[in-house]
Amino acid sequence: MSYRISVDTGGTFTDVAVADSDGALHIGKALTTPQRAFEGISVALANAAEAFGIEVGDLLRQAETFTYGTTRATNAIVEGKTARTAFFTTEGFPDILLMREGGKLDPFRQIPYPPPYVPRHLTFEIAERIDSEGDVFIPLDEGSVLAALSRCRDLGVQAIGVSLLWSIVNPAHELRVGELIAEHLPETPYTLSHQLNPIVREYRRSSSCVIDASLKPLMQAHLQQLERDLQIAGFTGHLFIATSFGGSWRPAEVIGRPIYSVGSGPSMAPVAALAYTAAEAGDAGLRDSLLVCDTGGTTVDVGLVSDGQINFTAETWIGGKWVGHITGIRSVDVKSIGAGGGSVAWIDAGGLLRVGPQSAGADPGPACYGRGGELPTVTDAATVLGYIDPDYFLGGRLKLDAARAAEAIETHIAGPLGWTLEEAASAILVIATENIVGAIREITIAQGIDPREMTIVAGGGASGLNIVPIARELGCRRTLLPSTASALSACGAMYGDIISEFSISRYTETRDMDFAAVNAALEAVELQARQFLADLEDIDPISTRIEFLVAARYRQQVWELDIPVATPRFTSQADVRALEETFHATHRRVFAVEEPGQYLECLVWKARATADTRKPPVGARPTAPGMAKAPDSISAFFRSTGHVETPLYDGPDLETGTVIVGPAVIREPTTTVVVYPGSTATITPLGNYLLEITPEDAAVAPDRQEAAV
Amino acid sequence: MSMDPVLLAVIANRLDTIVREMENTLLRTGRSAVLNMARDFSCALITGDNRLLASAEGLPVHVIGMEFVAEAVCRLHDDIQDGDAFLHNDPYLGNTHPADHVILVPVIVDGVHLFTAAAKAHQADCGNANPTTYMPFARDVYEEGSLIFPAVRVQQDRKDVEDVIRMCRSRIRVPDQWYGDYLAMVGAARIGEARLKDIVAKYGIETMQQFIEEWFDYSERRIAHVIAQMPAGEITGQGRHDPLGPLPEGIPINVKISIDPDAGTIDIDLTDNIDCVPAGINESRTCAVNNVMTGVFNSIDPDIPHNAGTFRRINVRLRENCVVGIPRFPHSCSVATTNVGERLVVTTQKAFADAWDGYGLAEGACGIGPGFAVVSGADWRKNDDAYVNQKFLGSQGGPAGPEIDGWITYGNSVTNGLMFRDSVEIDEQKYPIRVKEIRVRTDSEGAGRRRGAPGFRVGYGPKHDVMRAFYVTDGHHFPPRGARGGGPGAASIPLKMTTDGTEEPLPPISSADLQPGEILLHLLSGGGGYGDPLEREVERVRDDVLSQFVSLERARDVYGVLFEGSELDESLQVDRAATERQRTALRAHRQASGGA
Repeated sequence: MSYRISVDTGGTFTDVAVADSDGALHIGKALTTPQRAFEGISVALANAAEAFGIEVGDLLRQAETFTYGTTRATNAIVEGKTARTAFFTTEGFPDILLMREGGKLDPFRQIPYPPPYVPRHLTFEIAERIDSEGDVFIPLDEGSVLAALSRCRDLGVQAIGVSLLWSIVNPAHELRVGELIAEHLPETPYTLSHQLNPIVREYRRSSSCVIDASLKPLMQAHLQQLERDLQIAGFTGHLFIATSFGGSWRPAEVIGRPIYSVGSGPSMAPVAALAYTAAEAGDAGLRDSLLVCDTGGTTVDVGLVSDGQINFTAETWIGGKWVGHITGIRSVDVKSIGAGGGSVAWIDAGGLLRVGPQSAGADPGPACYGRGGELPTVTDAATVLGYIDPDYFLGGRLKLDAARAAEAIETHIAGPLGWTLEEAASAILVIATENIVGAIREITIAQGIDPREMTIVAGGGASGLNIVPIARELGCRRTLLPSTASALSACGAMYGDIISEFSISRYTETRDMDFAAVNAALEAVELQARQFLADLEDIDPISTRIEFLVAARYRQQVWELDIPVATPRFTSQADVRALEETFHATHRRVFAVEEPGQYLECLVWKARATADTRKPPVGARPTAPGMAKAPDSISAFFRSTGHVETPLYDGPDLETGTVIVGPAVIREPTTTVVVYPGSTATITPLGNYLLEITPEDAAVAPDRQEAAV
Repeated sequence: MSMDPVLLAVIANRLDTIVREMENTLLRTGRSAVLNMARDFSCALITGDNRLLASAEGLPVHVIGMEFVAEAVCRLHDDIQDGDAFLHNDPYLGNTHPADHVILVPVIVDGVHLFTAAAKAHQADCGNANPTTYMPFARDVYEEGSLIFPAVRVQQDRKDVEDVIRMCRSRIRVPDQWYGDYLAMVGAARIGEARLKDIVAKYGIETMQQFIEEWFDYSERRIAHVIAQMPAGEITGQGRHDPLGPLPEGIPINVKISIDPDAGTIDIDLTDNIDCVPAGINESRTCAVNNVMTGVFNSIDPDIPHNAGTFRRINVRLRENCVVGIPRFPHSCSVATTNVGERLVVTTQKAFADAWDGYGLAEGACGIGPGFAVVSGADWRKNDDAYVNQKFLGSQGGPAGPEIDGWITYGNSVTNGLMFRDSVEIDEQKYPIRVKEIRVRTDSEGAGRRRGAPGFRVGYGPKHDVMRAFYVTDGHHFPPRGARGGGPGAASIPLKMTTDGTEEPLPPISSADLQPGEILLHLLSGGGGYGDPLEREVERVRDDVLSQFVSLERARDVYGVLFEGSELDESLQVDRAATERQRTALRAHRQASGGA
């Protein structure tokens, strides 16, 4: 038997997924061990290996692939534990990282101005200037570089990011600075902005560049340690590292461009969602546009799949939109909504119930944790309503105190508003749901996507509590909740491809396209893509492909859309017209308007290389026909029914094809599914849950509905 | 409250989501840099009877008073139909200033005009006599020359009224750019219309009408509660805009503020101000109202909603023919949104700060000097295509408050840091200019226990052909003041650097023709400080020194902080004993000279 292993190391938990060659899949969980990731991984692996009836060592020896996703890079940035990094910038522009692109969320609120990613005293101005047309306006003064390097040595700089104006048009100066670093500080890793991320806009490119440089020492040490640990444990297969691209690379590539490991864990959830829905397709009526909601303790991570394609973004901010630090690279679009089980409910001065943005976090946590938290939270509300079994939270790892939950809600919400305890608890869930729904609408609609056209895929241990009302409010008829929902990202890494993108900046206008320049750019990126794929021959991919894209915009716009380029080279005006047509259609879809006849400004030409690797089939969860016993009965409260006797099922006992009509609660080892009145849950052929809003219910007056009040 | 409060919260949230969707459309599809980079636009939803309902994160100067433009549409048209859209920019009919075009789309369900979806955007050009959207010297509207659209129907049955489009195309510079921006605005308003119709279909007309009243009542309760906790009292804040043409002493501004916690109201009286002046800096009625309101909202709890319900508790008294009141035709309001408007904001917030401890803010930097100039010329790279646009390369400092240092990318008081900055590379790609430098201007911050943000030093110029720049600097003669012992920000200084590197002064309010190789320079103001700089925590002063916001000399002379070492790196440490002595000495010196 051979195995495939995938791992998602989060800040708190490490999830592993192990599949055998028949597609049987088991998940394991353990606490993350930040000092040495492998310790936590091996505990979680033991967990999963047990289900296959083997030892961890045997599992690793028989494993063909090991795909590793980690929040190590993200956490290092958030905690300020990256390398001591210097920023080399064009003379005259030392405050690019301080100013960012401007913008602030709340006009009347005073907030402290956040510091730049690299402090001013580690920022060095290089005497040189290249113009937007690529001409050298001021030649590179190598003396200014040598002076900066000498200061870097004195100040103990560990990494250098070099981002000079217009290096994307003429990289000569950046390249020469790179040579000088290699010569004078040979031990110091550095990043050149035009090589990492050749985009126009100096802030974004510089931010990418310094973040990448700052991660190099750390990720090199981290990944090499893991490689050694795996080797010692007997692993001889292929090691891959998950990237924010929704695929994976070999360790050396991630060490070379570690910024791509930022957010790599969450970017795998949409990959899992695609694999599951593809496997379930057919009679389940699932769409190929997916809304992937991965619910954790403090955030809901939302990703999108449109027509079978995972959505990407170039606007990922660490530490908050506009005020944090933008990664600037294209990555799977996963947005975090600050709404989790710990969000606190409160009454504002106008008498309105609010939930969040304050969170009780994990410590002291919700009142029901019994760790000193006194404020009512979403988890407390779910406990009061009977949705969470206090003895079975997190698979029984944490016993909840239902009385404390009730007391907190009574004292802070129900009493002051003159409501019953249950009314107050359900109102908390409604507002929490609304917060999530509002944020999802913004995320989807901002990209011209109508959530009603989508199927939800729910992941995360807490998602089953309110995914049905979320779906109803968004107008999504169907939701797939995999039985492995609590380890969605780890499962995704199992089904990902090896993907990389290569790009070159070459400005041209479609009214007078420079065919030679564009074709040269396409040829250059294609060459890089082919080289990347050639290096993967030893893993014997099933197939490989290269797709071309261009970042383009209407004349005078400044925000580009990524448009597929149908032909690998432009040979005729017809090719240009076809590109324009694709752009018009995309612009209309995203922004509701188009301007036929207007020409395009094309900026960046890209080749995306994909190697389709061997993946385990998505197998069915083994069920035990005839084992289903009569469900327990609990008392739960729903807005439309009040208190009602509600059946409580054990998920693993349910047979394929079983249809459960709400209200009902289904208990899984690592999650709970609440089947609200007006919805049903069907056990799919693969042992997952298909949650459906009944059509009559979708038409019911809003004030009768669960989350629509 | 008779409506389910949970439903109330749900619908309010949905409306803000709609506004954000409209804004996103405008940002992504706009053509001129003033829209697609700087985000000088706002969207709002207004009730059918013309009350401001939702504005999400719109610019204060744009959204407060958006109801007045909707009102003009209703007053001038008794045949409003589904499918209509109106173009409006008339400052004498409720608009801010002529460069702000507004597209208004009535949302009609079952024959009832329930809402108006509005998108307002500052245009790159509006047909003024000069290639700029700000005409400070215009003696009247005729000299100003802007094309005026008093709530004109620009779409019928969702199709353009071509006559109006042709009028714009024949008098607005770079007509394709204008039309692209127009499309972006219409797209935004139409998206608002569609989403509002969805929400009405879901909840029904009756529920929505009930929601509107309850939401206003709720908002009113919120602000009443905030005001009830404030101290009673009255103060008159006095401010002054820099000299301009007919006003060599500057433009004095008096803002009388009365707080009545028992009644839960704030009254602002602007009637004690000079008459309208024969220059383009008169406030429109809308700007007079929204700028003092912004000053008030800057000064109190930011968590309250900002809509017609909130406005019930703030009474603004204006008089006719007043420079900060109701303008008398044909005075020009070309520059109403900035300059004197900004002075209204900062004078109001400083008055709060000086009168009531813990409320209000110092003054923030004002004006649209060379760092924010409207530039024009021809682009040799694009067959000499004409260009005109406002630059947002400058950065001037935000004011300090009781707890928090000033916001660095503040822009100005009427936009409060919400606007984006230009990217140097995008500007150079779009326009035939080269940016020389953008760096923090050391020692420009207003000192204080909380300091104002520093201004920047910014320079740019043409590469190949002449570039014309129009700008309206303020804070050159009267820099932003501090509050409660905080110091002023540095003065705003416009300069020209000649080809041999000499820096020459430029008039603060003017235009300049720059030759290739010449640089338009602007040393921008910082924001005013709040509280005594000798009480600023020494580690914060150290951070400011390391960031090059504050020099070692200024740290010693103004903050009374001395250091061991002089290298600007981590080795720089506060010399606590010497600092203590220096602060004591500075305090003694102050007392000796009778200062605060």
